Amino acid sequence: MTAPVTLSLAVNGAVHEVTVPPRKLLSDVLREDLGLTGTHVGCEHGVCGACTILIDGQPARACLTFAVQMEGHDLTTIEAVSEGDRLSPLQQALHQVHGLQCGFCTPGIIMTVTAYLRDHPDPDEVEIRDLLSGNLCRCTGYQNIVKAVIRAAAEIRARAPA
Amino acid sequence: MYAFEFERPRTLDEAVAALADDDAQALAGGQTLIPTLRQRLAMPGKLVSLTAIDALRGLSASGGVLTIGAATTHAEVAQQTDYPALAKLAGGIGDPHVRNRGTIGGSIANNDPSACYPAGVLGSGATVVTNRREIAADDYFTGLFETALDEGEIITAVNFPIPDKAAYAKFDQPASRFALVGVFVSKGKDGVRVAVTGASEGGVFRWAEAEAALASDFSAGALEGLSVDPEGMIGDIHGGPDYRAHLIGVMTRRAVAAAG
Amino acid sequence: MSVGKPLAHDSGPLHVTGAARYVDDIPVPAGTLHVAFGLSHEARGTIAAMDLSEVRSTPGVVAVLTANDLDRPVDVSPSAHDEPLLSTGEVHYHGQPIFLVIATSHRIARAAARRARVEITPRPAVLTIDDALEAGTYFEGGPVVWTRGDIKSALEAAPRIVEGQIEIGGQEHFYLEGQVALALPQDDGGMAIAASTQHPTEIQHKVADALGLPMSAVRVETRRMGGGFGGKESQGNALAVAAAIAAARTGRPCKMRYDRDDDMVITGKRHDFRIRYRAGVDEDGKLIGVEFEQFVRAGWSLDLTPPVADRAMLHADNAYFIPNMRIVSLRLRTNTASATAFRGFGGPQGVLGIERVMDHIAHELGMDPLKLRLANLYAKSGKDETHYGQPVKGFELADIIGSLAESSDYHKRRAAVAAFNAENDVLKKGIALTPVKFGISFTLTHLNQAGALVHVYQDGSIHLNHGGTEMGQGLNQKVAQVAAEGFGVGLGRVRITATDTGKVPNTSATAASSGSDLNGMAVKAACDEIRGRMVRFLAETHGLKPKSILFKDGKVHLGNQRLRFVEAVQECYMGRVSLSATGFYKTPEITWDRVAGKGHPFYYFANGAAVTEVVIDRLTGEYRILRADILHDVGTSLNPAIDIGQIEGGYVQGAGWLTTEELVWDDKGRLRTHAPSTYKIPACSDRPAQFHVALWGRKNHVPTIYRSKAVGEPPLMLGISAFLALSDAVAACGEVYPALDAPATPERVMMAAKRVAG
Repeated sequence: MTAPVTLSLAVNGAVHEVTVPPRKLLSDVLREDLGLTGTHVGCEHGVCGACTILIDGQPARACLTFAVQMEGHDLTTIEAVSEGDRLSPLQQALHQVHGLQCGFCTPGIIMTVTAYLRDHPDPDEVEIRDLLSGNLCRCTGYQNIVKAVIRAAAEIRARAPA
Repeated sequence: MYAFEFERPRTLDEAVAALADDDAQALAGGQTLIPTLRQRLAMPGKLVSLTAIDALRGLSASGGVLTIGAATTHAEVAQQTDYPALAKLAGGIGDPHVRNRGTIGGSIANNDPSACYPAGVLGSGATVVTNRREIAADDYFTGLFETALDEGEIITAVNFPIPDKAAYAKFDQPASRFALVGVFVSKGKDGVRVAVTGASEGGVFRWAEAEAALASDFSAGALEGLSVDPEGMIGDIHGGPDYRAHLIGVMTRRAVAAAG
Repeated sequence: MSVGKPLAHDSGPLHVTGAARYVDDIPVPAGTLHVAFGLSHEARGTIAAMDLSEVRSTPGVVAVLTANDLDRPVDVSPSAHDEPLLSTGEVHYHGQPIFLVIATSHRIARAAARRARVEITPRPAVLTIDDALEAGTYFEGGPVVWTRGDIKSALEAAPRIVEGQIEIGGQEHFYLEGQVALALPQDDGGMAIAASTQHPTEIQHKVADALGLPMSAVRVETRRMGGGFGGKESQGNALAVAAAIAAARTGRPCKMRYDRDDDMVITGKRHDFRIRYRAGVDEDGKLIGVEFEQFVRAGWSLDLTPPVADRAMLHADNAYFIPNMRIVSLRLRTNTASATAFRGFGGPQGVLGIERVMDHIAHELGMDPLKLRLANLYAKSGKDETHYGQPVKGFELADIIGSLAESSDYHKRRAAVAAFNAENDVLKKGIALTPVKFGISFTLTHLNQAGALVHVYQDGSIHLNHGGTEMGQGLNQKVAQVAAEGFGVGLGRVRITATDTGKVPNTSATAASSGSDLNGMAVKAACDEIRGRMVRFLAETHGLKPKSILFKDGKVHLGNQRLRFVEAVQECYMGRVSLSATGFYKTPEITWDRVAGKGHPFYYFANGAAVTEVVIDRLTGEYRILRADILHDVGTSLNPAIDIGQIEGGYVQGAGWLTTEELVWDDKGRLRTHAPSTYKIPACSDRPAQFHVALWGRKNHVPTIYRSKAVGEPPLMLGISAFLALSDAVAACGEVYPALDAPATPERVMMAAKRVAG
């Protein structure tokens, strides 16, 4: 067995020290060592996208990342998306326009889309298709997820200073 | 997952030293290697991350050559404008998540027979630059998951001569979005190249007949009547050899049409 | 009014913040252990030797158990007692659990399991339908045959005969949350289980049997699942039982979850079918008789195959009156994972069989397929009976189809498709309109019962519990709306709580689309009971007639006086009125003789129709769904937003089943598509470019909960229109009937286009 290593991980604006084996996946460290269970593990093959988090602001799969790779990077999980007690426009929209059913894929979708809307607040239909190509949903048929993205984008644009 | 050590060198020299161990394995974006490790198809004793080495990052174009650092992500390549056909290839790899993490160096070091980059590198007549030497694309890809890289040799960059015309046409394996068949065509000062990925049991290859036909007439019409022998094509759960051979013809014509 | 509003899912705020807990997210006590199975690497054979010493010696491993180590034979089947938890010497499929490992972490348990050396003497495996036919491995003693009329004479007399065959692939559920269960040993020898299951009572029953406990000593709780689709009806039994055995052995909490590969390899999927048909029609396309042979690949154990195969037979008519009929159903035993429940439960295969027949006949007769379908539809008057003898009442499908054809511009678009195809050689378009009529009720009559438990607390808050489980379908939301309606209060007063066998006993699986029909009624009964007690008390104390007391808008109206709901509750509490009640419901009118294949198995039918337009690239076989229009009947909707979500999701899942979702086993019986990188479920880019869904708003003709209709399964079959639109597009490549098999992968579409072109 290789000795566990002690890492400093910057997650959701706080630095956490964890001691984990080098082989431990980031998704497992987030869930088991940091108790951040909103990052879901759906397929562990890097396909379903349920484990999506942001690494330095960009969506990536926590199940295709070792925690030891993450020192010096800034990590954001679903637990840090709300604006204080207020849901973000995207969270609000997914809830209100029924963009979720079983909810298991929802955190991953929120991470992917949140990063995209930050840089591209006016996505068209084609962009949204590609944007969501790395996140699978088995319940909704995606229709209301796309609607929610469009609604959230409009809300974000409306809020932005002119 | 079995046990291994992990190192994250800051310089190329440190990386070279770390990779000197027999069972050390370089780790780039990890989008292919980590699933492979999980399935225990590879069991190195030490992983050496290459993503913290500044010398391996970045893009620059000069004198008609685009140089891409080995640790440059697909997303970064997709955004460059010097070589649009390559940008399009990179932007069509996997999904946004994969493109944010996966790197060009990692992709061509692995040389998956269904990956897109090998077609782009071979189809452009690019040069693979390592810490030891420069390797022409024609000499670099040597077989299924096989390359000309020696033990401990690290790709630092890839130099792409920017052609006059180029395009990539890919038929996705729909579940993974790897290429069931992908064809990269280019027409530059050194002639026409047609590189095919996803299809052959030998990995990426140049389709010589198509190159010859296109050399005199760079148009989809010039390829009429040309076909690839299904012998030696991959037959798997995603498609048979006949289907793949057929798709090579279709995708080549489409790539040529797209290249204009 | 709460009922009928498009209210959002009750757990939405938890889902969007990541706060919603699934079983694997529940904080566990320190010292919790983890369980993993060691699996068979052969499809069929006898265990010759098993060396588990390296498994046992792996650091972190606490115990390793084989069937011999168990205190008693442990079965995890839903009914037939033919599925030992661990192989008892014979292995019946590749991936069958042989031993279990208990370790300090999930990863250690899994890694240790791989270190086993198990020698299996292989025997020739029966893998395919053809293998099973050759080997004669039938369940239920042979074919099940139902007949109507005189099929032989009918086919002899028929002016036209159309015959053929379709292969229909299975389908992996791919619930995003894999199977998982957590067992917590109790101080009194009992066991508490948290499981991701559609059937807590069955888990309770199986765990009790495995531990030698009465059911009263086992409590199972299910707050939510990350998707079920039928895959968590019986397939969670093994995990809960294994975790419970491990917990009982070690005295420590034990958790078991499958990694995705294991989940796909071990658990059952939708049954794959081969359907052979021979149909007699007159020159106008009127059906005279149809003969079906349904070959059902059941896998190694019985599981739920009998009712699944029955339902395929029950839906072999779909929406059409077929005066003479013969259906032969062969339930074939194979050395593959035991096929199981999957949304539609055999119905989709039965419906696809007859829709294929209609498509084929229309092609042979050169008739518009919609015209052909309308000519054969059951009568609106209710005079027709199905082949199993149930009158088809309240049948509005002709109107639904008419309305959909108009709103979707079907006829104009069909002409436009033909015009497009005449001008384009590489791209070809296709369009198809298909209906669905789906029978609602469990065909096992006794399962059509449900219970609920409602408490009203003295502060006016309401605790709601019922026997149904939440898997994303919005059942809890709908049922909470029923409860709020029952007391005339806002939803904010109603607390939805986890399904719990300790609160509502003897529940049926949340399956057969029956969740809100059954549990909604049970909840209503409980609320009616409490409200009745309150009314009687308030009438007496306020000197009013009970009839003059109304619960409305958060108030209790007592003649001219109004009390806030909480004030009325407090008066009742002070007056020593019981404010807690159970509710019970059983579906009326249903009878069924499954041997004869006769009776009235369904309380009513849910109906709908879809038009799908596709474009194919005949050179590559690639395709896209350009547009889908759906008009679906949910009676008077309890919650239109939730219902539309079910319809959209069902359609996409149905279309996925018949297009990209291909399961491949190799000649050793190993599932090759055991990950989402090889098994392709629909992604965002696969959904229809244009998607229009509307509800047929008329009330159910039978008195269901607020005259609504079940919605879980029926829309899945609307996806058949996508498959037949592909068939239509392929047909445009030549003269021959495409006879597409399912799933219509791009390779199949390309090859069919080639074949059709000749």
